[in-house]
Amino acid sequence: MFTQIVTILIIVSIVGCILYGRRLVKTEKIDAVFGNPERAKGGTHWIIVGSSAILLIWLYYSWDIAKGFYPKSANELCQVAKINESLMGLKYQFPIEEREFKSTSVIKIENENLKKITIEIQNSPDLNNQQKLKLVGFIKKTSQLIPLLTNDSLMETNTKIKIKEMTDELRLLSTNFQKKDYPFETELEKNERQEAIIKEGGWGITTVQSGTGSIENTMEVPLIPSTNKGLKFDAAAKELKLINDKFFKLKNHNPQFKISIKQLKENIKTYRNNLSESDESASTYAKNIVKIARRIEFASIYPPTALDEMQDAIIEFDNLQKKEQGGLRLIDMLLFPAGTIVASGPSCSEQGSGRWLPKPSDTFNKFILMSKPSVGYKNIPLLWIDMMDVSKIIGFILPDWIADILPGEYPVHSKDGIVKQNFKGQVLKVVTGDFKLFKIPVPYGHIWDSFMRVFLGLIFGILIGVPLGLFMGLNRFAKGFFDPLIELYRPVPPLAWAPLIISVLGIDNTGKVFLLFMVSLSIMIISARAGASGTQLSKIHAAHSLGASKKQILRYVIFPNSLPEILTGIRVAVGMCWGTLVAAEFLAGTTGIGFVENVAKKYFQYEVIWITIFIMGMLGLLFDVTLRKIIDKTIPWRGKG
Amino acid sequence: MKKIISFILGGLAALTMSISVANSAANEVRVAYFLEWPSPNLEDMQKKAFAKALGVPVKWTNFTNGGAMTDAMLAGDIDISYSQGLVPFINAVKSKAPIKLVDIAMEYGMGGTTCVTSNASGITKANATELEGKKVAVPLGTMAEYVFDESMKVVGADRKKMDIIQMDPEEGAAALVSGDVVMACLFGGNSIKAATAVGTRLLTVDEARAAGILGIDITSVTDKFMKENPGMLRTFIEVTHEANARYRAGKSDMNAMSKASEMKVSDMKETLGGFKFLTPEETKKSMESGNLDAFLKGMGTPGGNVDTSFLPL
Repeated sequence: MFTQIVTILIIVSIVGCILYGRRLVKTEKIDAVFGNPERAKGGTHWIIVGSSAILLIWLYYSWDIAKGFYPKSANELCQVAKINESLMGLKYQFPIEEREFKSTSVIKIENENLKKITIEIQNSPDLNNQQKLKLVGFIKKTSQLIPLLTNDSLMETNTKIKIKEMTDELRLLSTNFQKKDYPFETELEKNERQEAIIKEGGWGITTVQSGTGSIENTMEVPLIPSTNKGLKFDAAAKELKLINDKFFKLKNHNPQFKISIKQLKENIKTYRNNLSESDESASTYAKNIVKIARRIEFASIYPPTALDEMQDAIIEFDNLQKKEQGGLRLIDMLLFPAGTIVASGPSCSEQGSGRWLPKPSDTFNKFILMSKPSVGYKNIPLLWIDMMDVSKIIGFILPDWIADILPGEYPVHSKDGIVKQNFKGQVLKVVTGDFKLFKIPVPYGHIWDSFMRVFLGLIFGILIGVPLGLFMGLNRFAKGFFDPLIELYRPVPPLAWAPLIISVLGIDNTGKVFLLFMVSLSIMIISARAGASGTQLSKIHAAHSLGASKKQILRYVIFPNSLPEILTGIRVAVGMCWGTLVAAEFLAGTTGIGFVENVAKKYFQYEVIWITIFIMGMLGLLFDVTLRKIIDKTIPWRGKG
Repeated sequence: MKKIISFILGGLAALTMSISVANSAANEVRVAYFLEWPSPNLEDMQKKAFAKALGVPVKWTNFTNGGAMTDAMLAGDIDISYSQGLVPFINAVKSKAPIKLVDIAMEYGMGGTTCVTSNASGITKANATELEGKKVAVPLGTMAEYVFDESMKVVGADRKKMDIIQMDPEEGAAALVSGDVVMACLFGGNSIKAATAVGTRLLTVDEARAAGILGIDITSVTDKFMKENPGMLRTFIEVTHEANARYRAGKSDMNAMSKASEMKVSDMKETLGGFKFLTPEETKKSMESGNLDAFLKGMGTPGGNVDTSFLPL
């Protein structure tokens, strides 16, 4: 219901906005000539069209529109898919969807193989002439097997009857299939089916296992036919499967063929047994010839016209079932783009874009579920608050060696097994945070961890990169000394460091933050340096003649002048850091958005993958918007001087 | 404006087309396999015997984990996955992937997949509960995760209390060496060798076997290929079993195998020592009522994804 409303709203807003935009063009008087930036101002309606189009494409390619408007279509298509699955093997024997008969292509391939092996034998240096003659004789015998199978007059009556039977069964099925009340279900069967349908549930995620903390894939196309049309297809698929199995059990082996191939096999066997150890290659060739003979034996090769009637019956049924699908075919074509529902043994599944592009409604449901702190992902919430004692922070800040350098010894337990605390022990407790103070809320979870990693990498990059960049822009020594180093490491993609990180820096946050730091550092250095060397000389001269010291020139002239470049650099660095984060968290993950995505990939949880992608997009946007605000606040003179 | 819209529409049409065409069959058989995971039929792969037996070219592509094999099969790039781990297969069929299990590639004890604790940590089977609260590297969603779960049951440690870190075997071995984790669960000869240089197996191969911890690698195939080319599939499995029989008889060409699996002959022999290649009869039994069947049921796998009709019996 929700999807339907959203879809209609989107279409209405797209059409409305386009009409509005066109009218605006006609009525609005624009004095600006082409190239004037005034022409690009405004245009909220185009923003609506753009974002609605993205949503519409998502709804369409994830087949959510199909689910919203035709919730039964997946179930019906599943029944159709069952027919396709049953027919697949049979159809493949005939030039229906292929170019040629399976028999024809098998014969072509095997003749080719026989020719190849003949040439190999003729040119082989390991064989003597007598062996070559013998082997080529075997090949000739093998190729003579094929006409025995394709000769219509040699074909056994028994085989012919069986093919006739199958053809009749197919025809009977076609006639029955057209009847309205096929497959003649009794009232009892119908009630049983209805019960099973209710038990099975609908298309998509219907049950949510909250509380257990498991995000399992519940993507499911209901299997039991729930409509009369579906029931028809389901019943026909079962019958077709029987016919299909019967056909593949049937072998077109007439007595002449059986005798010839038995003789050939025995001849080759005795020949191989009589060969000595040194004639290994001859033995191998002989073995390969037997293999070709066996392939011919097991391939379904029939005389060219023997299966004509059967082919007609199959085509007749195929056309019939296509006609019977009616509107469903149209839904399949229009609302299931880039794929369809596929049946596989005991289950039906979405194959195509519907598989890896989860439906917006499903994704939304799963996101709501994952946002609950009790569920989260792998027992860690996405973003939640934990009460933490302030003492932990004190313990983290104060270095532990403070206790070590105090005079005296740590307390030792007495004979009675009692530990008496002394001053040194007390200090150790304080510096390790082993005491109780008041508690404050601290955020934690996957999103927070990722956020902190990016933030720390960025901060370290700025703290080191900006002074170094300014220094390099102002000092000959610094420029000369650091330039080759920076220029060498700058073009290296940050991920190139990834394989080394675990061995060098371990699996904790250090390695991940370091990777992000590497990304931001080079960008910050370059931008700070460009900013410093881009300062107008007249401004520096003016400050100098007013009596400014070196420090003052740096603080009040050069730094403010390079601030626009630095802030733009930070914006670029943020984007790059997000880009690297996923890969950094792939390395050795326990938390973080990248870790969630990596694990979800292993369990084929496409909804979770898309959720992580959206979260990352949103967080990146948040960073960028904040930075833009900061830029507007701190350097209002930008672009105006 | 019109140009932009027609461009976008054209792009969408092209996308739709390309996705649906991706599944069309080619006139060759595309097989996925692992490096560093030797098996007798790699000799046939090296000597191109599969192409001779099947009558069409066979293209072998190596993968690093079984999940990627499934992905490639669903995308229509792979027809047969040889020695896919059972856990990735189960994950795939649980998410309704149209693939089928048709043969057992090998059964193995903890020789090929194992958990190694570092010597520095001093943790052994006897005091394994000390693992709780410590960091452990596990490649999630693979056979190694299953082995990890089962081992923890044997030694009586609680998985939930450990800090489990998702790591591929090579990285897990590196983290064990650097002391970042106290235990790493891994597979692959070279990774296990690197890990055992600084650690010991938590359970020896015999202990694991006694506890019933068993790895099973399987041959899986796409539904489409199985339906359209049953003959080729049967031949593929037959050649594989012929190679296994040759290996049992001690007639395999070890040099060709080591070349194909990119391992040293000595390392490869050690890895192979932990493998058991079943005869067709044993395979059928395992699939219908033996180890494989128990494994699938234990993991809550939906039924109907196992097909024994292609075994050369």
